[in-house]
Parts: sequence; C-alpha cells; structure tokens
Amino acid sequence: MEKELTIDILSSVQKPARYTGGEFASIIKPQAEVEATICLAFPDVYEVGMSYLGFKILYHLLNKEQGVQAERVYAPWIDMEAKMRERHIPLRTLETKKTLKECDIVGFTLQYELSYTNILNMLDLGGVPVLAADRTDEDPLVIVGGPCVYNPEPLADFFDFAIIGEGEEVMVEVMTAYKKWKRAGKPGGRQAFLQEVVKISGIYVPSFYKVEYNENNTIKAVQPVAENVPPVVYKRVVGDMNSVDFPTSPIVPFGEIVHDRIMLEVFRGCSRGCRFCHAGMVYRPVRERKPEVLKDLARQLVDNTGYNEISLVSLSSADYSCLAPMVHDMIDEFKDDRVSVSLPSLRIDSFCVAIAKEIQAVRKSGLTFAPEAGSQKMRDVINKGVTEEDLMNAVGAAFESGWNSVKLYFMIGLPFENDGDVLAIADLARKVQYKYYQVTGKRGCKVTCSASFFVPKPYTAFQWFAQDDLENIRRKQFLLKDEIKTIKNVTLNYHDSKTGIIEAVFARGDRKLGKALLLAWQKGARFDGWSDCFDYERWLEAFAEAGLDKDFYAARQRGENEVFPWEHISPGVSRKFLWNEWQKAYAQQLTHDCRRSTCTGCGVCQKLGVKIIDYKNAHGEVEA
Amino acid sequence: MKLRMQITKDPEIRFISHLEYARTISRAIRRAKLPAAYSEGFNPHLKFSLASALGVGVVSYTEFVEIELAEPMEVELAAKALDKALPRGIRVLAADAVDTHHAALMSQAAGANYRVTLPYSRDISEAVTAFNEAPQLLFKKAAPKTKAGFKEIDVKFYIPHIDVTCDGAATVFAFDCKITPTGSMKAVDLLNALNEHYQLDLPVEMADIERLNLYRLSKKGNKVPMLNNDAVKLG
Ligand code: B12
Ligand code: SF4
Repeated sequence: MEKELTIDILSSVQKPARYTGGEFASIIKPQAEVEATICLAFPDVYEVGMSYLGFKILYHLLNKEQGVQAERVYAPWIDMEAKMRERHIPLRTLETKKTLKECDIVGFTLQYELSYTNILNMLDLGGVPVLAADRTDEDPLVIVGGPCVYNPEPLADFFDFAIIGEGEEVMVEVMTAYKKWKRAGKPGGRQAFLQEVVKISGIYVPSFYKVEYNENNTIKAVQPVAENVPPVVYKRVVGDMNSVDFPTSPIVPFGEIVHDRIMLEVFRGCSRGCRFCHAGMVYRPVRERKPEVLKDLARQLVDNTGYNEISLVSLSSADYSCLAPMVHDMIDEFKDDRVSVSLPSLRIDSFCVAIAKEIQAVRKSGLTFAPEAGSQKMRDVINKGVTEEDLMNAVGAAFESGWNSVKLYFMIGLPFENDGDVLAIADLARKVQYKYYQVTGKRGCKVTCSASFFVPKPYTAFQWFAQDDLENIRRKQFLLKDEIKTIKNVTLNYHDSKTGIIEAVFARGDRKLGKALLLAWQKGARFDGWSDCFDYERWLEAFAEAGLDKDFYAARQRGENEVFPWEHISPGVSRKFLWNEWQKAYAQQLTHDCRRSTCTGCGVCQKLGVKIIDYKNAHGEVEA
Repeated sequence: MKLRMQITKDPEIRFISHLEYARTISRAIRRAKLPAAYSEGFNPHLKFSLASALGVGVVSYTEFVEIELAEPMEVELAAKALDKALPRGIRVLAADAVDTHHAALMSQAAGANYRVTLPYSRDISEAVTAFNEAPQLLFKKAAPKTKAGFKEIDVKFYIPHIDVTCDGAATVFAFDCKITPTGSMKAVDLLNALNEHYQLDLPVEMADIERLNLYRLSKKGNKVPMLNNDAVKLG
C-alpha cells in the first residue's frame, strides 16, 4: 500500500474534511460485490464539486448498477498538493481510498475551460500518465463528459474517450460493456475495449480520428481512421425526464458547500434562444418533469437529506409551465418541515417578482435580474427578448413589494457592440433608480451592476465572432466605470479580463492546444479559474513555446465556410440554423422561443428523434 | 423534555470541525424526524446543543448532544432513529431524557479522559516523573483573540497526573483533564508543555488524540457518568 494522508498533514491544511469522506449517504459497497470501480472526478475543490448536480445524478445511478462502485475525487487545494508532492502521497478516492490508478475508469466532468489544467494535475497526482498515448493496460480508462465536451479537442491528447450528451442512459451501457470485457479477462487490452465501446452511440474516441489542417492553420477535415467509427458523434439525450432516475438520497456533506441545499432539476433544456448562450443550444430540446413527479422527488429529498431549502434548478426555472401552482403546493407541503423553496434566477417580469415575494427565497436585500445588455439594440442582437419596459415593470413590481436594491447582470464585448451600447448600461441603472423614485417617492435605491467579459462558445450563433482583445475590453470597462462613478448608489463589478481570453482560446480551440495545456501545467498552472492562482504570463509563455497564437483562437473572425475543430461532435443543432442566427444578430432580428410555439428549425428534435415536453401546451397532460 | 445522547466522533471523520459536526447533527435530527423544538423567528433554529467543543483531528467516544423536544418521544426509539440518520462516523451509544429545565450538560462536565498516541520510542520516564511531581507548570497557550496572543496557564491545575507507556514503536499518554466553568486546556498543549519544559522532542504534529470519557464529579470528587443511571444503551 502506498502512502496515505497522515495526521500531521491533515492537521496542517485548510478544511481537511475535504479529503476524508465518510459523509452521510456516501456509498461503500462490500468489496466482494464490486466488479468495476468508476471514479467521478471533479476538477475543482470539494465545495465546488460537491455542488455539482450532474455528479449527484451519476453517482447515484452508477451505484445502483450491480457490481459497479462509483466513487468521488476532487482537486486538492494548493496547500494539500504541496504536502502530497513533498511526501509522494497519491491522490485517492474519498470512498475506498483507491488511487486513481487503481480505478477501472476515471471520469472527469468538463464544466469550465479554466479547470482543464486541474485535470492533468489530478491524473498526475493519482498516478495515471497524463497523456492517453502513454497509458498501458495497467492504467484506468480516462473519460470526459459535460457541457464543454461539445468541443473536447484541446483535451484530445489526455482522455481515452468522451461521453457526448446526457450520461444517464449511456453510462449504464458503457459500464455493462466494461464489466463484460473485464469478466472475459480484458481480451485485446484497452485498444480492443475502445473499439468495442465506440459502437455505443454517443461515444467519441479521439484517437480514432485524424485531423488535417490547411496552410492557414484552420481545419481541413476531421475523419475517422478506424472501423465502426461514426463521422459525426451525436449527443445522447434522455427522451422523457419523468422516467429517468433522479437521486433522492444525495450525499450530505459535513461542511458548507457552495450550493448547500436540495437541487431539484425541474426541466432540462432552454429554447429561449439567447445567441450567446452555449447551454441554450446544447441542452435542447426542453423536457419538463411532471409536477407530481417533482413533488414526490421533493418529499423524498427532504426526508433523506435534512436540508431546509429546495432550489428548483434548470436553465430558466421560471419558465416551468406549472411553476406557480407547484410552488404553492410545495410551500404548503413543507411548511411544517420548515423547508423553503427557492429559484436560482428570475426572469425579467412581474410574475417572477410575485413568485419571489411569495417564496421569500431572496431576502429583501436584493433581487437579481439579467438584462445581459444595456441597449435595446444589443438585447436584440443577442435575442434576449426583453425590453426596457419589461425591466421597468419587473423592478417596479419589486419596489412595490418592498425591495430597495437590485442587482443587474450584463455582458460587455458582445458582437456589434459600440461604446454607446456599453454606456447604455449606466443609463439603464439610472432609469432603474428613477423607477424607484416614481414608485416610492424616495431616492437612494442601490443598483449593483455586474459586467462580465463575453466569451464566444462553439455551437452558438456567435461561434464565428472575434472576441474583443484585452485592450479594447479594458477600454470599455474603464469607460463604463467612469460613467457609473458619476451616479450615486450605483456600483459596478467587473473581473480581470485575462481569464476570459484563456477561456475563449480553449472554448474554440483545436487539438494543437494540448501542447500548450501540457506546457502551462508543467509550468505550474492549476486552478486557473481562481484569481489568486491564475497567471496570464505563464499562459502566454506556454502558447509561445507551443508555437501557437492565442488570437488565432480567441480574437479571429471565422469565415462562413470555415470548418470548425468540433464539427465531428454534435448536439444536433444545424450549422445552417446557427449561421442564420448569426446573420439575424447582425440585422437585430429576433427569433422566438419554440417551447410553446412553432419550431424555429434548429434541427435537434428531428436529428435526434426527440420532442419538446412542456405541460402548458398541446401535449396537454397538465393545465397550468 | 430534553433528550440527551452520548455520541461518537470516530477516527474516519476526525478531521471535521466542531461547526461541521454540529451541522451534521442538526441535519440528522431532521432526517430522524425527531419532534425537536425550534426557536421562534424568521430563521428558526433547531434547539440542540453539544456538551463540549472538540478540536479538528480529535477522536471522541464521549460527545453529548442535548435535544429539546416539542413533544415527548420514547428515548430508545429516538436514539435508534438518530443513530440511523447519522453518517457512519457518528454513532449513538446511549441516551436518556430529562426535564427541559434541567441544567445543560455543558455546565456539568467536570473532566475528560484522554489517550494520546505518538509514533515515538525514546525513554521519557524521567520527564514524566518530574511532571507528576511538579507543583506547578506554567505554559503560554496560544490565545489568538487576546492582545498578547497567548494566555499563561498552569498545566498541573488541569492535568495533575499522566501515565505514559511505550511499546517500542509508540508512546501512549493517558490522563484526565479538568474542565471548569471558565474553560479547560487542549490535550495537545500537554505535549507542547512537556517539550518546552523538559526539552523533549515529542512529534506533537503526529499526535493521535482520543477522548475516551467525559464525566461529572460528585460532591466527594468521584467520577459520575454524564447520563443518568437508567440511560438506554445502544450497540
Ligand atoms: C451548479 C452550477 C455550479 C455550482 C457547482 C459547480 C458546477 N460546475 O456544477 C457552483 C455554484 C459551484 C458553480 C460554480 C461555477 N460555475 Co457553474 N454552473 C452550475 C450549473 C447551474 C448547473 C450544472 C449542473 O449541475 N448541470 C446539470 C447536469 C445534469 O448537466 P451536465 O453537467 O451537462 O451533466 C450531464 C451530462 O453532461 C453528462 N456528464 C457531465 N459530466 C460528465 C462526466 C462523465 C464522466 C460522464 C460519463 C458524463 C458526464 O451527464 C450528466 C447527466 O446527464 C451550470 C448551468 C447549467 N444549468 O448547466 C453552471 C455552469 C456550469 N457554471 C458556469 C460557470 C462559469 C461557473 C463559474 C466559473 C462561476 C465563477 N465565475 O466562479 C464557477 C466554476 C466552478 C467550476 N469549476 O465548475 C458556466 C460554465 C460556462 C463555461 N463552460 O465556461 C455554466 C454553464 C453556467 C453558465 N451558462 O454560465 N456552478
Ligand atoms: S428542433 Fe425546433 S422545436 Fe426542437 S428545439 Fe429546435 S427549434 Fe425547438
């Protein structure tokens, strides 16, 4: 047995409970029952990873499988990593304390591009060769899934295969295939297993594709080089959310985590069609759960966790067809248990303010709205579908209900944006303050504006767009800051933009970036999403050494016919639809939401043979 | 009615903090559906308390939780329900019930018994004898909230006697530590004080500290268990 974490180490690091497991409802099966161990690896600290719903789902679901033991591992924080490296202590799972090398499969979720270096670091700490090509039959299979998997190319050198799309069904198939292969004595080694698993729909094996480049470094073609390999891997999608498993007894951690409450997934997908939004494109179509199903899940979750808050999570929970009656029922049902109900975000309308008031989820200290852009022109460019009047009605309703401060979320650096559009943010804040005066007769309404730097993502209408460069985005930030300084009680929050540039490089990057990623990690990059760890200069060095140009990836406008590095992996959305949306953005034309109206032709439903499930319209099982 | 239970903090979860331990128990009380009382107000809190605060890293087989109930419940049923609702590393060992106005356990604890194991094999019997015979042993314990940053205490007031054995690989300290209304001292500070006064090199950072017992004292000075004699025993 290799070395384990000792008392002196655990006593000297921050939050040692991150590393010791044993939480309520964590699962350890009798060793004799276990045929295959899969480690669900979240490339960030415990408190962040434990808040991730996707792994709550997969942990529960995989552990239900006979012979499968699902375990967890998180990125050790800097202080712990230093101790582990100093004493050569490998990274182990929280359940049975296996090193990553001892697991059959190690599965990372790709939620955020700036966690990629942590993946390399965790593999290395766990005793697994970082490069897929260096792994032998003694090593685990390293797999990835999650929203960033629609362009996994920058990570192609590091994982063995990817799960494209929703994991609930496909992971059961993968584990069944794995157990069968393992029982047979692993014939043909890992290469043979890859050839087997690639037959399952939704599996992408990067080593089975060859990438050819043009002279200008853009992609010429990506083609399969092995048998049975599909030219395009389409995502897996759960047809009916009512029949798929949802965890009713998730792990309850000892300490406080970021989302320390019940997460009840009300529906999957969002078709509002905001043109900047990656999630809105890759999770289509909308599929709701029935209110009865949700109420039943909520009851079990309350009983099994002891939490006192239920958060109704979805990409836009306020759009749920049966929201108001369901919230009423839940508040009623759980009053005696002292459980409250909350919504993670609000839509900009008075209906939502009324709901917020009812659930008191957001204390009087502040309501948050996301107009995303300051000017109407920009809101039309991004297809936000919200007018200034909508916002004024919403904040007016909030002020009437007693709120006296609001937070507004914006993005800057959007396509077709000029300085006037940026300054319009300040203007909007002023108007909100005036609305407060109109409603209450008083002054002094606090408005907090937050302006983040837009990062273009693959499979969105803005995938062709050249991101603003550092100088330009800084200029815009200062412009806005100077303007907002002149308004009393309005504050502006914004982040350093350098992380946004690295995020943009990896979001639309290709396989060549693997080299830069490896170099950056070797130079010490990890926790790049944490401002205290991020080092821009280090990234610039890594790009230079790899012979790559960050601007080629982040700040280059793509042509109509350019082949993208990610087109052999698809969420089902057609390129034609996205290009049209890009053109409509330029023309400031809106596209409606297909959820309760006609199909707008993104192609997902037809391509994948699924349909929208919404209980408000003709599908008709429930009347709202 | 007030339920009182003797619970553990087993080695596997020794590194959770006191706050984390308390949160875990409050959630377990909810999962167990004990008819617990809540405070009034906008943000109602469960009415329960722990008899003592245990340091991060310290194992204990004698923690006590007191839970105020809004309705009476049979002690054994409650103890079993809570035991089931707790994570693996916390077990319910015994339970009893008293009147709501009964003095808090926290105020009654008069002493604790510890075992401290160190990976250490040098002979320290001279220092141990000297310690046991010393009338007083002053030590500056860290007190981050004070101006000076430390507070001088007499270790011998809290720990009059220690028993030390060594099996060649590990040295084991066994001792009682007084708890007074104004406080107590940490087991680890005994080791620090020994190192300081007798120029020892005990590897304090490796100390495996276990609290084996927590007790009251009778008027005559005899150790009395925290729970009543009729307490229900589990497991
Ligand atoms: C909960 C949440 C958090 C929580 C928990 C962390 C997390 N990443 O989940 C907290 C609050 C801590 C958080 C923090 C942050 N978040 Co966040 N978060 C979310 C949120 C709301 C839900 C994620 C989720 O559980 N989805 C539901 C699951 C079921 O879907 P899923 O992940 O796709 O999983 C399915 C499949 O993809 C697949 N799958 C996924 N992974 C894997 C892995 C394997 C091995 C397999 C087999 C299958 C598989 O199976 C699952 C079941 O079908 C999303 C928005 C959203 N609604 O998606 C944002 C989101 C992921 N967060 C985002 C961001 C930006 C952040 C922060 C950077 C914010 C900040 N500035 O600090 C940090 C980064 C932390 C981090 N390292 O991830 C962005 C990411 C955008 C991007 N790619 O860059 C998102 C998409 C929101 C957004 N639109 O802006 N977040
Ligand atoms: S295919 Fe049509 S109906 Fe389905 S999500 Fe796309 S736009 Fe909506």
